[in-house]
Amino acid sequence: MSSSSAESGWLSSPILKKVVTGVTGLGLTLFVLGHMIGNLTMFSGPDAYNQYAHFLVSLGPLFYAVEIGLLAFFVFHIITGIRIAMGNRRARRSRYAVRRTAGGPSRQTVASRSMIITGLLLMAFLVIHLLSFKFGPGGPGNANAAYFTTVDGVGMRDLAKLVHEKFQTPWYTFGYTIIMLLLMLHLRHGVWSALQSLGAMRPSLTPVVYTIGGLLGAGIAAGFIVMPLAIYFGFI
Amino acid sequence: MIITLKVWRQEGPDVPGRFETYKVPDANPHMSFLEMLDVLNEQLIKEGKDPVEFDYDCREGICGSCGVVIDGQAHGPQRRTACCQLHMRHYRDGDTIVIEPWRAEGFPVIRDLVVDRTAFDRIVEAGGYVSVNTGAAPDANSIPVPKDDADLSMDYATCIGCGACVAACPNASASLFTAAKISHLALLPQGDPERERRARSMVDQMATEGFGDCSNHAECEAVCPKGISIDAIARMRREYMRAVRR
Amino acid sequence: MLDSKIPAGPLKEKWDNYKNSCKLVNPANKRKHTVLVVGTGLAGGSAAATLAELGYNVKSFCIQDSPRRAHSIAAQGGINAAKNYPNDGDSVWRLFYDTIKGGDYRSREANVYRLAQVANNIIDQAVAQGVPFAREYGGLLDNRSFGGAQVSRTFYARGQTGQQLLLGAYQAMSRQIHAGNIEMFSRREMLDLVNINGKARGIITRNLVTGEMERHIGDAVLLCTGGYANAYYLSTNAKNSNVTAAWRAHKRGAYFANPCYTQIHPTCIPVSGDYQSKLTLMSESLRNDGRVWVPKDPSDERKPRDIPEEDRDYYLERRYPSFGNLVPRDVASRNAKNVADEGRGVGETKLAVYLDFADAINRLGKDTIEARYGNLFEMYERITGENPYEMPMRIFPAVHYAMGGLWVDYELQSTVPGLFVLGEANFSDHGANRLGASALMQGLSDGYFVIPYTLGNYIAGTSIDAVDTGHPAFAEAEDAATRRIDQLLAIQGNKTIVEFHRELGKIMWDEVGMSRTKEGLLRGIEQISALRDEFWQNVLVPGEPTHFNKYLEFAGRVADFLELGELVARDALEREESCGGHFREEYQSPEGEAMRNDEDFTHVAAWEHSGDGSHVRHTEDLEFENVQLTTRSYK
Repeated sequence: MSSSSAESGWLSSPILKKVVTGVTGLGLTLFVLGHMIGNLTMFSGPDAYNQYAHFLVSLGPLFYAVEIGLLAFFVFHIITGIRIAMGNRRARRSRYAVRRTAGGPSRQTVASRSMIITGLLLMAFLVIHLLSFKFGPGGPGNANAAYFTTVDGVGMRDLAKLVHEKFQTPWYTFGYTIIMLLLMLHLRHGVWSALQSLGAMRPSLTPVVYTIGGLLGAGIAAGFIVMPLAIYFGFI
Repeated sequence: MIITLKVWRQEGPDVPGRFETYKVPDANPHMSFLEMLDVLNEQLIKEGKDPVEFDYDCREGICGSCGVVIDGQAHGPQRRTACCQLHMRHYRDGDTIVIEPWRAEGFPVIRDLVVDRTAFDRIVEAGGYVSVNTGAAPDANSIPVPKDDADLSMDYATCIGCGACVAACPNASASLFTAAKISHLALLPQGDPERERRARSMVDQMATEGFGDCSNHAECEAVCPKGISIDAIARMRREYMRAVRR
Repeated sequence: MLDSKIPAGPLKEKWDNYKNSCKLVNPANKRKHTVLVVGTGLAGGSAAATLAELGYNVKSFCIQDSPRRAHSIAAQGGINAAKNYPNDGDSVWRLFYDTIKGGDYRSREANVYRLAQVANNIIDQAVAQGVPFAREYGGLLDNRSFGGAQVSRTFYARGQTGQQLLLGAYQAMSRQIHAGNIEMFSRREMLDLVNINGKARGIITRNLVTGEMERHIGDAVLLCTGGYANAYYLSTNAKNSNVTAAWRAHKRGAYFANPCYTQIHPTCIPVSGDYQSKLTLMSESLRNDGRVWVPKDPSDERKPRDIPEEDRDYYLERRYPSFGNLVPRDVASRNAKNVADEGRGVGETKLAVYLDFADAINRLGKDTIEARYGNLFEMYERITGENPYEMPMRIFPAVHYAMGGLWVDYELQSTVPGLFVLGEANFSDHGANRLGASALMQGLSDGYFVIPYTLGNYIAGTSIDAVDTGHPAFAEAEDAATRRIDQLLAIQGNKTIVEFHRELGKIMWDEVGMSRTKEGLLRGIEQISALRDEFWQNVLVPGEPTHFNKYLEFAGRVADFLELGELVARDALEREESCGGHFREEYQSPEGEAMRNDEDFTHVAAWEHSGDGSHVRHTEDLEFENVQLTTRSYK
């Protein structure tokens, strides 16, 4: 008997769903990696940070194209992610009383089990994050003279000031830190999983890629966390 | 040894199940796990109660009939061992063991620990074969097969179809089972002409049966009595993408 | 009386002659003929797939949840074929000769020759299906040698040859199920055969999930339901292997041939206690390097490593200096029983002998032994918890295979027209003893290459009445099956089915086992008969008939074993000679070797079931025109 719970319609193939999640996931990983490195310019001072932000905006159409692409990646990643999670819930309605991983070759971890939770929290964070910074004071549609500065004779948005303000509030700083730890978890499973989903694995590569995935997740999260903490504790 | 068992009892697919607790006072370390359940059933029958139903046949780990989740692990704690070959010497006197059926929508419960795994048959029917009629075969040695390919193909062909991969997968995905068959046949020249068609139809059938998607937890590989690697799943995805591109 | 329908002509041309002259069914007409195939092992699976490919309308039945789980799957060693790829002098003739001799000259020449002829096609077919046989680095197929042959003719897929061949047949079936040519009925047990106007026309099955009785009608019925070794309770057969379908067919007119030919395999893991549910076989290849021994003194309680050479009895090497540990299965098994009877058995139960690899490890190194037998050693350790690299293995013989089965002619047709019997369920090709790697060969030969011709000949040459499942014969059979189930459940005695089965097994093993005597067999017959009476008064079957109820299934099977067991003993009693798997202590040489009586017993004994439950013995004389009957000697 075939189950009525099966999905149909657009992108119902379990493999295409995973390929889309994997490709968008890897793209987004590259994005957060770039974003994290960009954030580190704050350690060279507010001017460097503002110049870097201004440089990106001044790319004009190219910048908007990348933004639209990123938006599409997020949308696809989130939609397929949610669909996969919902399908998986449908695939097991009756829960085990006891669950235990068999260990060994199993890659089942807190990270792998909580992809949908970390993912949804990251999505919520993304909205708040965009509202706080991109669309915050001085951003598009929110002109504010207090957040305007001039560096080397070039007028630009004083994003560094906004960042400093935000990361002086404890709830924002520590909330951000926690979210970045969740990002680490998400990447811990996500990076290697994406490569496995794309069929890129070879037996000899699996442990290496799995390790790299973990290091990359930890590295990106650490890179994101140091700047707010440095601001909060007054180092910069 | 005295063993306490918490066993899932369910009278039929649409009846709610529950755990029942039983004591097996005369378990023995040399018994297999299923023999211990036999002893429990003898006890229950004599008490006028319904015995616990569970599937089994060869009891030497090759037919794939048996399979229960023991303390949260499909086939129990011993690596690469179907529960018919798990022995009670892995337990201590006084232990409590929780036994549950394979839980997945693709495997509806028939009774107690017995589930309906015919979804696996339908996945194979969708394309898990080489379309060759009896009598049409050329001499067996007419097509050489590199030994490494034949050996790897055999690694995947050892699947016993027990369903532990689905049971252990947090998503109740049948990917390892499906991938093992696709990989077994894709690695051999005899399976080559149909590889695209096979990959597409088997994967589509797998989705139709209501199994979850693979999220690469790799728990399936850890519980597989034959230790089949999830590299099969990566291969299945390559085969499928290759078919989609055509 | 019994017409074996062996075609005319020289041995080598018989099968070709048959194929050239048999009647054919028009391709367009095949669709109109329904064939019921019971069992999905190598014989049933290959038959169902092949007949469906030809265009017949096939209905297939199995007791497991999937056709892939039939017990053929457990065969380890390999499959024989006279391909002569190793260039070591093999030929169809040699494969034929080895099989006839291995069967102790108690099989039909024509059948065995056909088997040897089609064996090569089986390998071709399996490879084309994607069976991943072992290969050499050059990419060609590898062969190994096996007991009873001096050439390497065994094809294998690790220690899982049966599994891979069965999956090949299962996949071929799956393709036909998908195409709509096979309708598959899993979790169904055949409970009766329906004959209409003297021909087999249908079966009654019970749906093992819902308990419903079902009627199926067809133009012919194929029984591919395996052997009856589970009559001994402990055997290497799967737990669900049973004789019920064959036995019910027997009661509907199919003769049962040579039931006393049972094979006891020497290298099984011994019984560890009363709770034991089955026995596990280890490949007999172990005897290539292992040395079999027991202590000389029955009261020797020392650990095996502490027993010095001079206190050990390597009894096979002592008694059979030229073959030593490599004597055939029956000889090795009987000798193990003898030392155990003398009280020199080892281990807790005293029902085991040592198989010691210490010398081989010293001579060849642990690595070599591991490469040869690693997976077997692992399996042994998993089951016993002992490490065979350090401690000698304990082994003991166990019932393994039934050479006997329903009588069939050259066309595999039983004494009921339209009822064909394939694979282990028939008696045909192995005589009194089966050689290793021959069971897979026979099952697939019957299903892939013999039945497509002989079934066509039957269907084309028979007028089949237009009836349906409303025929009174169906109603009568279904009622009988239902009544029996109700009767089993109504007894509500105080002994469980397993207790009865275990008791039957003990009688069978003690009195109808490896070594039989007139007195023992008479005693066995009496005990079985008494146990059967007790069963029908005192068995305790739990649950209801309307749900999944495994103990109810077993109850019906044990009831049939209780009848078959007696027939095995009767057949053994009547066969006053020792041959192959049948050893009568009265008929042995002064050195204790089996003595055939070719004068009086070069025949098949086929038992007819008469209405009152008694049996009539018929015979089919075996004529040997091509081979000389000789005495096997392994001294």
